[in-house]
Amino acid sequence: MVTDQIASRGIKHVETLDAMRKAERHLFVPAESMRMAYGDGPLSIGYGQTISQPYIVAYMTQIIEPKADFKILEIGTGSGYQAAVLAEIVDQVFTIEIVPELAKTATDRLRELAYDNVEVISADGYYGLEEEAPFDAIVVTAAAEHIPPSLIQQLKEGGKMVIPVGSPFLVQTLMLVEKKNGKVSTSSLMPVRFVPFTRGRE
Amino acid sequence: MNKRIYLSLGLLSASLIAFQLALMQLISAVQWNHFAYMVISIALLGFGASGTLLTLTRKWFERYADFALSLLMILTGVSMSGIILFSSALFGRFDTYLIFVDFSNVKYLFLSYLSFFIPFFLGALAIGLIYIRYVNRIGTMYFADLLGSGLGGIFLLGLLWIFYPAQLPAAVSVLPIVAGILIIPKSWAGRLKVPSLLLLFLPVYLIIFPSELPVSEFKSISRAMNMPGSEIYMERKSPYGHIQLVKCPSFRNAPGLSLSFTGDIPVGDVMYCNGNWFGSLTNRANDDKIHFLDYTGHNLAYMISEPASVLILDGGTGLHAGHALWRGASKVTFVEENKKALNLLRNELAFTIDSLFSDPKLTSIGLHSRSFLLADTSHYDLIVLPPIESFGGSSGVNALEEQYILTLDAMSDIWEHLSDSGMIEVTSWMDYPVRNPLKILATLVETLEQKGYMEIEQQLVAIRSWGTISFILKKSPFSPEEVSGIRDFCEGMYFDPVLLPGIVSSERSVFNHLEDSSFFSSVDQIVSPDRNSFYKNYDFNIRPATDNKPYFSQFLKLDRLNKLRSLFGQGALPFLEIGYFITLLTFIQISLFAFILIVFPLFFTKWKGKGKVYTLLHFSGIGVGFMFVEIIFIQQFILYFGNPVTAASAVLSGMLISSGIGSLVSSGFKKSKRNILLILALVIFFILLYAFILTPVLRASISLPFFLKILFSILLISPLAFFMGMPFPVGLKYLGGHNNTLIPWAWGINGCFSVISTVLATIIAVEAGFFWVMLLASLAYGFALVANIFR
Repeated sequence: MVTDQIASRGIKHVETLDAMRKAERHLFVPAESMRMAYGDGPLSIGYGQTISQPYIVAYMTQIIEPKADFKILEIGTGSGYQAAVLAEIVDQVFTIEIVPELAKTATDRLRELAYDNVEVISADGYYGLEEEAPFDAIVVTAAAEHIPPSLIQQLKEGGKMVIPVGSPFLVQTLMLVEKKNGKVSTSSLMPVRFVPFTRGRE
Repeated sequence: MNKRIYLSLGLLSASLIAFQLALMQLISAVQWNHFAYMVISIALLGFGASGTLLTLTRKWFERYADFALSLLMILTGVSMSGIILFSSALFGRFDTYLIFVDFSNVKYLFLSYLSFFIPFFLGALAIGLIYIRYVNRIGTMYFADLLGSGLGGIFLLGLLWIFYPAQLPAAVSVLPIVAGILIIPKSWAGRLKVPSLLLLFLPVYLIIFPSELPVSEFKSISRAMNMPGSEIYMERKSPYGHIQLVKCPSFRNAPGLSLSFTGDIPVGDVMYCNGNWFGSLTNRANDDKIHFLDYTGHNLAYMISEPASVLILDGGTGLHAGHALWRGASKVTFVEENKKALNLLRNELAFTIDSLFSDPKLTSIGLHSRSFLLADTSHYDLIVLPPIESFGGSSGVNALEEQYILTLDAMSDIWEHLSDSGMIEVTSWMDYPVRNPLKILATLVETLEQKGYMEIEQQLVAIRSWGTISFILKKSPFSPEEVSGIRDFCEGMYFDPVLLPGIVSSERSVFNHLEDSSFFSSVDQIVSPDRNSFYKNYDFNIRPATDNKPYFSQFLKLDRLNKLRSLFGQGALPFLEIGYFITLLTFIQISLFAFILIVFPLFFTKWKGKGKVYTLLHFSGIGVGFMFVEIIFIQQFILYFGNPVTAASAVLSGMLISSGIGSLVSSGFKKSKRNILLILALVIFFILLYAFILTPVLRASISLPFFLKILFSILLISPLAFFMGMPFPVGLKYLGGHNNTLIPWAWGINGCFSVISTVLATIIAVEAGFFWVMLLASLAYGFALVANIFR
């Protein structure tokens, strides 16, 4: 998966590639989707949510250039896969999930897999996590029509936030938000791929 | 029995039209318009298929005609009800988009074709059989058929106020069951009447306990309902769509909000119409100091000046009207065509929006924006257009929607409503590949030029946020102070100017960088006088829409399909431009099926034989011609009535009833060649006349009161439709006298070509415009004329 779908599409960040090799994607998908876990597309995890296409996870990870001493906030835990990939690289990952059932499953799963440096919080991610702010990077996995002001405030000076802009099902572009000298700038990145998710058989 | 057959035929025809419109409502609500369009078009081939079956089994059907007619009508009704039960299981696993990703989904597509095909096939079989059996009374039979169809449209319009979309098919299915019971032959009455009456319990049960079709996961309401704690707390049915109010504890609407905003966006309820986003219900101002729209591109106009009178077009739930009042406007005029939504906002939902619509400074009007503009004589300091595109892109689902508010002609009308230093404001989401911002820019630039202002840069400003671009077109040049104010606004909001008097290129991406910076050169080329070559070279159609081709959201260029496929990948195309793509796909499928249905019977009859060429040319020509005119009339009357549902009902009913009367009158004609040639010549004359006068006549009378408009439209439609109702029965009567074995084949040909031509009319309208569709309609009748000369 890493060689064919990720490195071949221009992901060069060594730490990201290593993390993608270590975090086993099949452990983050529902049992019935396990045979498709390493396929080149998103998969349904129930509650209208998906586990992103592996390439998107790698791309979002590379964009924020994570380093070992980073404290990262993720909005939208979903299956916990993106958090696990980040946790392979950095010290601390806080991840917020709005669907309580998904938050519970992800907590159990990450604990079982011994990702002790990930904390799952069951809440509305709109307000971020003020008590742990500021963050070196923020990864938002769900597209939004505005970027929550509280997340920008909780981003460290020099920090980076990555957020998808586009339909939640047909991820079109990713946006990088950077905070420098107290000002905020954005970069619209080229569209990554058009892959809708296949509805689950729940 | 003899008299009852007219009533039964009328009821059956009414039910088939009503069922078609009901399915359109229902499938559009759970899936998409373009998907509904494809499924129903293919299902309507049931008319063609019935002709094919009747050609092959005419003798058998004739022998048992009385019994078969009754049974076919009852089965039509039962299948209309039953199909919904079947489809609810089918749609649980299906989404249009998935066909292009996972080919195995095609089986669900074909199952949906088949399921919706059955009622049309059974109903058409009954009508075709009536035409064969009663060919000597074809004029009056066809009158009953068309009268029923015409009333069927009005019948459904009434049902839309009473029933939710999921209940409509069952409600309609009562008609054909009753029609069948009315004509049960005496010899069978004892055995069939009671069981048939009992069958009426099926629609009654399905009306009380409707079988809901699952809503597509790709619809915006599904996204909201996936959030924990979301609930639909109010639902309303109307011809304006199925309105649903959703309370979602985590939903905050602030599209395109500046990254410098540090306040709090409150949670708000959301209104959906047919599962699509309609607007959020937001309190007028969050607190005493801020309105979140102050932190978006929409606020630019208020930074330039202090508009006293503001006109909000296609205003949705009133967000921008509230903002205009908040910014101190003394007179705000709000126009929204969805009267049902507007009434809810004025009354039952007033408490959720701080009684916005009771504000004495606000006048709200339930009308299509364009119809309002054509009738209104006021001038405004600021005219706000609805935001273009939805967040994340709609992937071309609106490609075939007539957007009369975004045409060059509309912009010209808007311009005429501006005060001396008035402004037009329009904001679009930035999409990729860039289409919407470029097309609206092209529309604004060409409007300025049309009005004789050649220094575009002095009167057109654009600013870009992280996800949106806002344009201001001003009637007078921007002053240096205004330009400086715009720069300050951008700096404070982290926005970048794109078009501004005296702009330098480094200013354009200070805060918001684009990886693909070709956008700026595209903007410059559109502003330059040499924009035509840019339109030609760009991979998408960004030439401004016009009233003749009012498809703003149609960006697909047919000659670039291969290039787009290689640029974005095989599976990407449907996600970029699905609406038009589906239409093309529908046309290919229908043509293929129709060809089989028309040619297939010829293997069982004889290839050679008298009257086949005549039958093919006459019945295909009048089928194409009739539908071309009908489609163009509906599209033209949308602007006239300001509402697609009223337009479709008025045109369908007006045309079908007038044609029915024409058919009735024609039954007294002699079957002479001279008569049919005269009728066809009159039809061609009227179509050509209407091709030239329809648009100006409608425009001149658009400000009449609604009742007079209805009367006027009937006066306008009926002369042409009256004559268009004659060639079909006269042609069948001719076949009845010469070679009656060709009657079912003629019925099938007419059915097939009617369906093909509805799709073809749309494609021609998109590619060449309404005018050409009308010209081709006259050409189609020309073919029928030639067939009759040489018959």
